[in-house]
Amino acid sequence: MDWGWVSDHLDLVGHYTGRNAYLGLIAVAFGFLVSLPLGLLCARYRWLYAPISALATALYAIPSLAFFVVLLDFTGLQDRTIIIPLTLYTLSVLVPAVVDGLTNVPEHVRQAATAMGFGPLRRLLQVELPLSIPVLIAGLRVATVSSISLVSVGSLLGDSFGGLGYFFTRGYQIDYPTEIWTGVIAVVVLALAADLVLVAVGRLLTPWVRRSPRTVIRRRTARAQARAA
Amino acid sequence: MITFEKVSKRYPDGTVAVDELDLHCETGKVTVLVGTSGSGKTTTMRMINRMVDPTAGRILLDGEDIARRDPVRLRRGMGYVIQQAGLFPHRTVVDNIATVLVLLGARRRAARLQALELMDRVGLDRSMAKRYPYQLSGGQQQRVGVARALASDPPVLLMDEPFSAVDPVVRADLQNELLRLQADLAKTIVFVTHDIDEAIRVGDRVAVFRTGGQLVQVDTPDRLLAAPADDFVAGFLGADRGIRRLAFATTAGLALRTPTVAVLGASAADVLAAAAQAEDRWVLVVDADRRPQGWLQADRLASETQVEKDLVQPLGHVFTPGSDSLRTALDASALSPDGRAAAVDGEGRLLGVASGSDIATAIAADLRQLERGESARHRPGR
Amino acid sequence: MSIFTDFWGWFTTGANWHGSDGIPARLSEHVQYCLLALALASAVGIPIGLLTGHFRRGGLAVTALSTAARALPTLGILYVLASYQPLAVFPVILVLAALGLPSILVNTYTGVVQADPDAVDAARGMGMRPSQVLLRVELPSALPLIWLGIRLAAFQVVSTATIAAFVSLGGLGNYIRFGLATRDYPQVVGGAVLTVVLALLSLLVVSLAARLTVSKGIRARS
Repeated sequence: MDWGWVSDHLDLVGHYTGRNAYLGLIAVAFGFLVSLPLGLLCARYRWLYAPISALATALYAIPSLAFFVVLLDFTGLQDRTIIIPLTLYTLSVLVPAVVDGLTNVPEHVRQAATAMGFGPLRRLLQVELPLSIPVLIAGLRVATVSSISLVSVGSLLGDSFGGLGYFFTRGYQIDYPTEIWTGVIAVVVLALAADLVLVAVGRLLTPWVRRSPRTVIRRRTARAQARAA
Repeated sequence: MITFEKVSKRYPDGTVAVDELDLHCETGKVTVLVGTSGSGKTTTMRMINRMVDPTAGRILLDGEDIARRDPVRLRRGMGYVIQQAGLFPHRTVVDNIATVLVLLGARRRAARLQALELMDRVGLDRSMAKRYPYQLSGGQQQRVGVARALASDPPVLLMDEPFSAVDPVVRADLQNELLRLQADLAKTIVFVTHDIDEAIRVGDRVAVFRTGGQLVQVDTPDRLLAAPADDFVAGFLGADRGIRRLAFATTAGLALRTPTVAVLGASAADVLAAAAQAEDRWVLVVDADRRPQGWLQADRLASETQVEKDLVQPLGHVFTPGSDSLRTALDASALSPDGRAAAVDGEGRLLGVASGSDIATAIAADLRQLERGESARHRPGR
Repeated sequence: MSIFTDFWGWFTTGANWHGSDGIPARLSEHVQYCLLALALASAVGIPIGLLTGHFRRGGLAVTALSTAARALPTLGILYVLASYQPLAVFPVILVLAALGLPSILVNTYTGVVQADPDAVDAARGMGMRPSQVLLRVELPSALPLIWLGIRLAAFQVVSTATIAAFVSLGGLGNYIRFGLATRDYPQVVGGAVLTVVLALLSLLVVSLAARLTVSKGIRARS
């Protein structure tokens, strides 16, 4: 591992890190924007959940490269060719996260809110969604880390479409391990950084949650967090 | 027997759960630990099977310090029943009960057979054997929990609020089962509850704890009711403890008088005459077998020819001297239109009546006996 | 859509069912890689999950390890390994196992942690040794979640094992790789569809295994 090379090419690494972050985070953002209403519908109309979940699962099973390639025909070689599959992948994590988060709101809390005169929208915004945050964040963490990591496969389509994957594809082609390692390490660091940011955001948004690591987790909440894993 | 010698439990953050406890739990008796929340009663019980270890003092089991014993082996010799039963959700009822037996080395078949017998013992229908806990009601789950604890026939039974999670009717049932089992098995039972009435009902001795882990008073239920050590205990016992105490007072020595009796179908005029002679304003109506039917005001017979059933005022209830308590007698007297309680024998036939003042005299005498520390105490049936 | 009719054409072409590049051959390679990877991930993840869950320690480490494993770019790791030596099968298995590890580990840990605390207390109270409490009470309670973890891992591993083809190791990814290289799109779609079907099948198989092994008493509470 030649650190000299890295320090020489820091600006390049920075550029591709930015690209990777952009592609990954946009995918998650869109994914969340789609999952939220979808999840809400599934939580309200239970019969929708099975088919939508099945669809998201099937989408997730499509190997990323094949997905990119098939889309090439329709979208040409652009950012969106990468972003669309990544967005669809996040659905398999985020839709269940939204549904689980909402259904885990204790029934007695929901009823108390209704009894106090909260209309459905206000109850959703002020009670149900806030209480769903832990599960939502758990889902977002998985989606974000996976997306950032998956962006790298796009490098097989072209230099600028794989974010930090650029380094490992090139490194492999010219047989220069340092470059491959640089790419790998940078992806991991970026993903972990994003994860930490989300953890911090989660903590900030939920001052009421007890922090003890030995807190007994309620069965359904535990299950929801595990499902997101 | 179990002895606590200056046992304390202090947590790192300063909380004192148990404060220098000296307590002796007699072999073959039920010792109830009762008190407010945070009074250390559960912690105390859990120190017996070393689920919690004391920070000071020692606990002796039949004279031997339990700190020297392997906790796992210690626990296998004790039954442990907790509030939510703690049944294994993944095992059937019969396998749940057989758990300790298998743990001790029994073969599964033999263990299951024994488990089925235990189901009979605790009043569970054998058809439940193959069911899973989620299919059982709260009361049934608790019975399984007790059966499981009794499976290896341990000399000691630890019960932590075992009946608190079920409704009052089921709770009374379970308490009766326990008393019945204990009459048969005579185990050393340590029973924790926050319900003073349950404590009095179930306990041979009751230990009252205060918040902060302090033992305030240990006594038999009736001495506890008669003479609480301080205001805290008195308050904890609640109102009308004087009357509740009477459940422990026997009616054996109660003086009985003969009332004017009217047999159903007898001539009204005869009864009226007898009543006038005895200066009795009320007449006790009985059937052909001398079973009390109710009270009848003598005057009402003036306009009648015969003693009829529909003239009679309801009896409330009767009491059996010797087996019923003074509380039952007092209650019968309170329900009677002229304050006289009807005493019957084992077959329900009239023996006599006790007037309100007779009962009051008996109550006072009993209290004096209690204070002198005398007399066999009456174990309440009701 | 023409793509799917093309796929059907490719799929039903007899020639594609024979030889070392035939569908059965590639399928079996793919399945073998996945089974080995899952076995490895389970062999590591389940014991660690059970132990950390039982002792309630290391929950944070479990999450951190899982996040890190998930962050690893599979392609990149594969390239790293390939650049040091001609790639043997084992490193690929290792990478795929690392992919499946997070789901299995986290779910096992959570499964143990959410076991009914009263049942666990009763088990200790009746004199079960810690190992007995873990194996006889916590593990059976954790089984639904453990199977969930395995299911998620299987799914992920099957989808991602296509990557093995990119370091010349066969599997269904070969159709994607060579289809791309020769612009033979039906072949690409063929590889993709077969992968999806296999992935969905793996879900079914694991669900079935779960059904058979999870106690009725536990299943009902889920």
